[in-house]
Amino acid sequence: MRASLFVTCYNDTLFPETGRAVVALLERLGVEVEFRPAQTCCGQMHANTGFRSEAYSQAKRFVRIFQDAETVVIPSSSCVAMIRDQYSGLFEELGNEMLRSEFRALLPRVYELSEFLIDKVEMEDVGAYFPHRVTYHASCHGLRALHLGDRPFRLLAKVRGLELVELENLDRCCGFGGTFSVKNAEVSSAMLSSKLADMLTTRAEYCTALDNSCLMHLGGALHRQFAAMRTVHMAQILASTEAEPMEATL
Amino acid sequence: MNSRDKVLARIDFATGKNSTSPATSYAALKREYLREGRLHSEERVALMIERLRDYDAEVLECSPDDLIPKMKAHLIANRKRELVVPSGLPRAWLVPGFHWRIDHSLTLEQIDRCEGVVTGCFCAVADSGTIVLHHSQMEGRRLLSLLPDWHLCVLRESDIVETFPEYFARCTSAPPLATYISGPSATADIEMTRIKGVHGPRYLSVLLLRDAQH
Amino acid sequence: MTKPTVEHAVLDPKKAPPFPEAAFNILRNTQLRKNVEHATDVIQNRRNLLVAEKTDWQELRSAASVLRAHVLENLRHYLTQFEERCTAAGGLVHWATDATEARKIILDILRQEQASEVIKIKTMTSAEITLNPSLEAAGIETFETDLAEVILQLAEDAPSHIVVPALHMNRSQVRDIFAGKMNRPDLSDSPEELTGAARSFLRQKFLQVSASISGANFLIAETGSVVIVESEGNGRMCLTMPRTMITLAGIEKVIPRFEDLEIMLQILARSATGERMNPYSSLWTGTTPGDGPQRFHIVLLDNGRSEILAKERERQTLKCIRCGACQNSCPVYRQTGGQAYGSPYGGPIGAILTPQLMRLEHAKTLPYASTLCGACYEVCPVKINIPEILIDLRAKVTDKERVEELRFFDPMYLGMRIANLLFLSERRFQFAQHLGRWALQPFTHKDGWIRSLPSIGARWVMTRDLRGLPQQTFREWWAARERDDRR
Repeated sequence: MRASLFVTCYNDTLFPETGRAVVALLERLGVEVEFRPAQTCCGQMHANTGFRSEAYSQAKRFVRIFQDAETVVIPSSSCVAMIRDQYSGLFEELGNEMLRSEFRALLPRVYELSEFLIDKVEMEDVGAYFPHRVTYHASCHGLRALHLGDRPFRLLAKVRGLELVELENLDRCCGFGGTFSVKNAEVSSAMLSSKLADMLTTRAEYCTALDNSCLMHLGGALHRQFAAMRTVHMAQILASTEAEPMEATL
Repeated sequence: MNSRDKVLARIDFATGKNSTSPATSYAALKREYLREGRLHSEERVALMIERLRDYDAEVLECSPDDLIPKMKAHLIANRKRELVVPSGLPRAWLVPGFHWRIDHSLTLEQIDRCEGVVTGCFCAVADSGTIVLHHSQMEGRRLLSLLPDWHLCVLRESDIVETFPEYFARCTSAPPLATYISGPSATADIEMTRIKGVHGPRYLSVLLLRDAQH
Repeated sequence: MTKPTVEHAVLDPKKAPPFPEAAFNILRNTQLRKNVEHATDVIQNRRNLLVAEKTDWQELRSAASVLRAHVLENLRHYLTQFEERCTAAGGLVHWATDATEARKIILDILRQEQASEVIKIKTMTSAEITLNPSLEAAGIETFETDLAEVILQLAEDAPSHIVVPALHMNRSQVRDIFAGKMNRPDLSDSPEELTGAARSFLRQKFLQVSASISGANFLIAETGSVVIVESEGNGRMCLTMPRTMITLAGIEKVIPRFEDLEIMLQILARSATGERMNPYSSLWTGTTPGDGPQRFHIVLLDNGRSEILAKERERQTLKCIRCGACQNSCPVYRQTGGQAYGSPYGGPIGAILTPQLMRLEHAKTLPYASTLCGACYEVCPVKINIPEILIDLRAKVTDKERVEELRFFDPMYLGMRIANLLFLSERRFQFAQHLGRWALQPFTHKDGWIRSLPSIGARWVMTRDLRGLPQQTFREWWAARERDDRR
């Protein structure tokens, strides 16, 4: 099985360790991973801020780059949601029939990481070892746009040594929302502090998620408050083993 | 162009010409929700009672034979003396010993002075605990079941349906007036604390008249 | 001293401050935030329980959604049918293209009736057309009768929720308002006692006032009937006691047939207040001899609705039945309450409805007052895809600002254009990654974290640190690995 990794622009730049963990994890499971360096961004930031034509150009670029990939794996729910929910509208409005048919052919081969593991590789136990107390933050896009359901929990349940603590108000947004976090910084921060209160009650060592965007928000606030809790993308938990524990990051 | 034509012209511009007739596309609308109940008659009655009590309504059961004594006892227990009733309520229900004001064009003040009202109903929906009034001669005009603080409604067992769609199926034609009552008047406007009785009756009693075979 | 949250009792999008500014003021009001959080928690929890017990909930939602969409596609047919049947039943149907015309129609009717007082059932549509101030200006005393509206009217405050408009106040605040305005210093803060005070305050009004004004939950085309859904009985009072009654309804409120209520009534109460059914729903048809008002007027209001109808994606906004479920579920609304939205329609539905009713000339910050978390869409009983419309409106605001306001050097616009150029080329993107690392270096502490930033970045570091850019991007790592493999 071959998987083409769309690492996403912000993971590439800000969280390379997440990309490295996806590669390590998939290769351990026998998946042949490729990385197409032409890739940049899915267009989500532009689309969600109202820059439609710019978003269209980036979306078109994504389809052109990945159209012949066997499968595309993306360690970010919101980027997958962008592709699933917004590309067809953009192509309908601004694209031509050829682009639309290329996209239709590609779409079923685009997977979010936990979807890829559970639905495509059909594995819950990926052989991970992570002896820590962990709570899981369900990002809005993973929960309501992709309907990931129990997939993340099934994966975490099989990680040896991991103690999972339930997070209260799991379905509530952390307040990131892309440019919302700066356009409405005060409201965003108010939402963030409700979420942090729920997180800190868990007394977990790590808060994990399938989106580094939420985690950048939550982790930044935890650091500001000198909290002991750290944030880590789930790929990094699933990649760790007894022989090769999670690489240290900030 | 008057305002009516202006608004309609804007609507025409917005919606364009529809190729299918509204009746055809209406008939094709998907309705996959429950249209019929799934309960036995005894379960249906039990559900109705449970729902009514959940709304803080008082529920009494009686057979056709003990309707009058039950009603009398309930009126005495609630210390009601002066009651208003719609003109079509069976005369036999007006048990002696109380002041019965029959609504032949009573004034607002006369109705407002009464301590309670006794009515029948068109039917009731168990799923939501709703009493349906179509304001016939048995149910009275709308004011009657509104102004007095205490409402006793007589409900026949055979008039209980399980679901809302079954009520609509019962209506041979659409009523010009209808009131759907689900428990006593209530508000939760202050801190979401449910308070019984704001402007409508604070107390709702339902006298459930069981069918003869029970 | 803290600034009062609302200086005017009328929420008018034309005068309202931008959302971030209004929200900023409200966020400092910790009592209000506590009240809003409590109320939305209670309704949301009850709603979730009751929706879970309804085994055919998703089927009801689908039926409601397609029914409302069908009405909008055939709006002329159903509106004219309603007009015909309502007129035949003795009702007088008026059409209003906009708010000004609707106010004039209502004022003319009341003047003709020589009414000096009018009682009102809670109607958000009347708040939309700012009816009360114009009635007062014309010398007609207006009495709100819904408990929450009574509280707001006495407090000279604005609504903060579609269904529970005074949810931002707690019992002791209500007690103080009632004690002062009703001259009842004896009142305690028990909700029972406060409700009782409102009951006796209004009872005489119900018996005396000869005209009433209501909104409408549904208009039934087939029969010309109007339906109102309520809890307290103040609606039933206003529908039955006065001589004359005026209903103000948006043109989108119509449903085809009487039986369609089996869908709408079932979804509305569960979504709105978390009840199996609201205490009272009333249906009436024109006038009925011997029962209720003998003169019945209905004003059908357009006020921007037909323009929303003309837009393919946005049209679904008009499916709304004003249940407020989106407000209770919205994490943004839960922090600020409804007043921050500067319109009687707050929360997610307000964020899409208000800018459209204002033709995007006002309320342009509202489409951005959302994280696009999708909670509103999930609970909407008529399946309005609010996030999709928010994104669409953002695109319209952007297009308009770009062309009309020439925001060439606006940091946001400039930044987004540059970002696009970077994303369209691998080399430019990689160059930007290097540039970013270099540019952020001076702000990055020894521990690798950034605690302060200029410009837009300052908005981020207000409450959050930012991890500095790592020394190696993913693509650099990958390229290095490939090189090693080849060796």
